[in-house]
Parts: sequence; C-alpha cells; structure tokens
Amino acid sequence: MTHALVLARRALREGIRTPEAILPTLFIPLFFLVVNVGQAAKIFPGSSTAFLHGQGYGAFQLPNSMLLAASFGSAALFLVEDIEGGYFDKLRATPVSRSALVLGRLLAEGVKTLLLAALIVAVSLAFGIRVASGVGGFVLLILLTALWGVVYAGFMQVIALKTRSAAATNSAGLIFFPLLFLTPNFVPRRLLTRPMEIAATVNPVTYVMEAMRSLILQDIVWSSVLYGYAVVAAAGALMLLVSVRVIRNYD
Amino acid sequence: MPAIKATELVKTYGGRGGSVDAVQGVDLEVAAGEVFGFLGPNGAGKSTTVRMLTTLLSITSGRAEVAGRDVAADPEGVRRRIGVALQEAGLDPRQTGRELLVLQGRLFDLTAEAAAERASELLALVELEEAADRPIKGYSGGMRRRLDLASALVHEPEVLFLDEPTTGLDPASRITVWSEVRRINERGTTVFLTTQYLEEADQLCDRIAIIDGGRIVRAGTPEELKAELGRRLGLGREATLDDVFMDATGRARTQVAGEVHEVSA
Repeated sequence: MTHALVLARRALREGIRTPEAILPTLFIPLFFLVVNVGQAAKIFPGSSTAFLHGQGYGAFQLPNSMLLAASFGSAALFLVEDIEGGYFDKLRATPVSRSALVLGRLLAEGVKTLLLAALIVAVSLAFGIRVASGVGGFVLLILLTALWGVVYAGFMQVIALKTRSAAATNSAGLIFFPLLFLTPNFVPRRLLTRPMEIAATVNPVTYVMEAMRSLILQDIVWSSVLYGYAVVAAAGALMLLVSVRVIRNYD
Repeated sequence: MPAIKATELVKTYGGRGGSVDAVQGVDLEVAAGEVFGFLGPNGAGKSTTVRMLTTLLSITSGRAEVAGRDVAADPEGVRRRIGVALQEAGLDPRQTGRELLVLQGRLFDLTAEAAAERASELLALVELEEAADRPIKGYSGGMRRRLDLASALVHEPEVLFLDEPTTGLDPASRITVWSEVRRINERGTTVFLTTQYLEEADQLCDRIAIIDGGRIVRAGTPEELKAELGRRLGLGREATLDDVFMDATGRARTQVAGEVHEVSA
C-alpha cells in the first residue's frame, strides 16, 4: 500500500501541474447544469413538481453534472503518456507490486474527484441548491461521486493498458459515455417511456444517480444510498479484477 | 555464480500476420563485476533480450537467471537487484530530477529521508545538482540520459542494464556517460550494455557478444575476437571490432558525422 500511496502522490502532483487537464472537468459539468436547468426548469417548477421535494430543477440535475465530472478523469491519458514515454517500463522494472501500479493513479483520481465534487456542490449552493440530507448526506454524496470516478477511471486505465494509445483510449471511452445518458437524468425513472425505463433499469449508473439524487432532494434514504454504493462496489471489484489481470499479463 | 545466465532464451511474437522469432535460443553467461557488451544490428534482438532479462517481457521458452534469481519464477527478486536504463530515457517530464530520484528510492523501499539523501548523492554523481529542482521537460538529451542512469542506481543494484545509453548523445556527453559506467563498475556493479557504437564496446567492455537474427554469432573479449579474425582471414593489419562486426553479421558499419549507418556487405 505504501507504494500505491507514493505513486498516488506523484499522480496528484502531475494533476496540479496540469491545470489545463482539470479545469474543463469542472466547467463542462457546470455548463451542462446551467443549460439543462435553463431548458427544462419552466416545465418542472419546484412549487408544483412532487419529485423535486420543494427544491428547484437544478437540484434534480446536480447528480448528472457530478457524474459527468467524475467521468472526465485523466488518469488513463496520463498512463498512456507514461507508456509512450517509456516511464511506465521504468516503474515496471521496480519491485513494486503490479496492483500498486494500477492503484496509485486510482487513489489520486479518487482524491481529485472528491475535491471536484465538493467544489461543484459548493458552487451549486450559491445558486440555491441544498443538500437536504445535511452534512452526513453531503459526505456520502461526494464520497459516492469519488468512488464512481475511481471505477470509471479504472476501466479507462484497462483500455489504456490494452491499446497503449491516447487516440484509442479516447475513442474507447466514448463507448461508456452513453451509460451516463441511458439514465433517468431529466425525469424520475417512472416517468420515462417504456424502452428508456428498461434501459435505465439495467444500467448500473442509474442506481448511483438515484442514490445521489435522494441525498440532495431528501433526507438520507438508506435503501437508495446502499443500492448506489453496492453498484459502485460491484463495479469496482470487477474493475480491480480486470485491471490486475491485464497488468500482470502486460508485456 | 554468474551475474547473468541465459539458456536457450527464446522470444516469439505472435500476431495476425504470423509469428516472429525475435530471439532464437540465446545462451549468455556474464560474470559478476564484468562490463558485458551486447552488440548487433537494428532488429537483431538486443532490446528484446534485455527486456526479457529485466522482467519487462515474458520469456517464450528457455531460462534466465539474473543476480541469482530466476527471471520467470522470481521477477520481484530480480527487480530488487537490478538497475535499468532503457533505450528511450523513460522519465516523467513533469517531475523535477530530484522528485524523480526520490520517488524511485521510495519504490525501492527507502524511507523518505534516505531517498532524499540518496537523490542528492546521485545528483552530485551525475553532475545535475544545478538542474535538480527544474522540471525534466527542460533537460537536454545528455541530462536526461544522466538522470536516467542515476535513477537506475538509486538502490545500488548488483546488475545494471544499459540499453544504448549513449545513442543520440554528442561526443562530450557520451564520454561523460562512459566515465560514469566505469565508475559504477569499479564499485563492483556488473554492467550489461547494449550499444550500436563499436568504439564504445571496445572502450568499456571486458567481453562482448554479437547477436544477429536473434542468435549469438560471436562472443569473447574484444581482443580475442579481433585476434581470431586476424588469424582466420590472414589480414595484413590488426583486425578492428568493425571487421569483427562485419564478419559476424555480413554488414559493415560506417560512422559519418556521428551517425551510424549499416551497409550490406
């Protein structure tokens, strides 16, 4: 674990020294929040829309933006840079466990996403959005976002390790992107058309989004929160299994 | 006990277009404390062999031991005992030279204090103290090579692998790297060096092996190989390592303005 922490510190330093890679991950999700609220807020007024629990439409949209931010992680692209520049081989020639090579960047991604999620919520508070579940709910909210960010970045790292190409990693990442939109991102699941409802129900991201949304709009609804965390845990376990397998067979 | 022993080492790359035998049964034995030169034309299998010996590439068949540890069975044991500076000086351009060396030390289980101390020693050794706290992306090619060499020495390895450590360097930087290699070897480290500069091999190496088409085609001390060729061909002059290389690989090497060119004989 020490090695993973040492590598995580290096990855964080790399992030701090590349602000141009982090800033869009803050501004683009906020841009989507503003645009989505601007387009649909009149259709769903807070005063008469039951699923908003007394808040404005922005509160309903906030989880989408947070998940979008969490899915913009740059760990995989930095990994490709290491591979292309030969530094990854330098690291592989050290006695560090193969899993630490994967975990280092993921830990850093978790910290980055945690800070980013907190910042997005802080900006949202300035626009009147509240986290109805209080401080405890806020912690659960940003932690869930960060863990999702780690899982997503982990799968992207697997693609980076398999393709060893920035272009291929970027393109392959687009395969995952629809997962963020096959969700109840504009209205609750029960209001979706039947095909969309089925797609959203089988999409694991839905449960993460619904858990986040419940923390923003309501008090802590444990059934929903635990569903979200369970999905992230299951996806995380799968991601770690695949990652370790890929890096152990990396030639 | 030899520092490096490879027996019938084979690497085959599979692909859609069929398989390629990059290394075809290499036998090597490098004694502890030696500087061993590994020469060959481009694509002969030098780097593939180095990557197998340094655990970076799986071995298709055969066996290799480095620093007394089996490469396939105990790769971590091998990694703890070797230093590696590969062909492209693989460095993180966003870190400073000092940060890179401290990180390397931490990955070899030095404490934070010990890693910082070792980094300072090595920066002095490779004469990079002034540039130590600048990002590596601003370093020249020679500075990068020296830093790469320093990073391979952080944990005082028993065996140091240098894959073309002077390729692309100007003559002055090349001589600096040579003197570093000699100094490292004088401290007892075995050095396995691949190079495309025959002069470099002649200057530095106790013994050399020439690989061509994935097979070792000559091995011995530079003097032995030159004397053997002189005797065999009845040359009216002393054979050079260039003559040996040409005889072994069927390719002549000429050097024009520092660039090495291969010419089919």
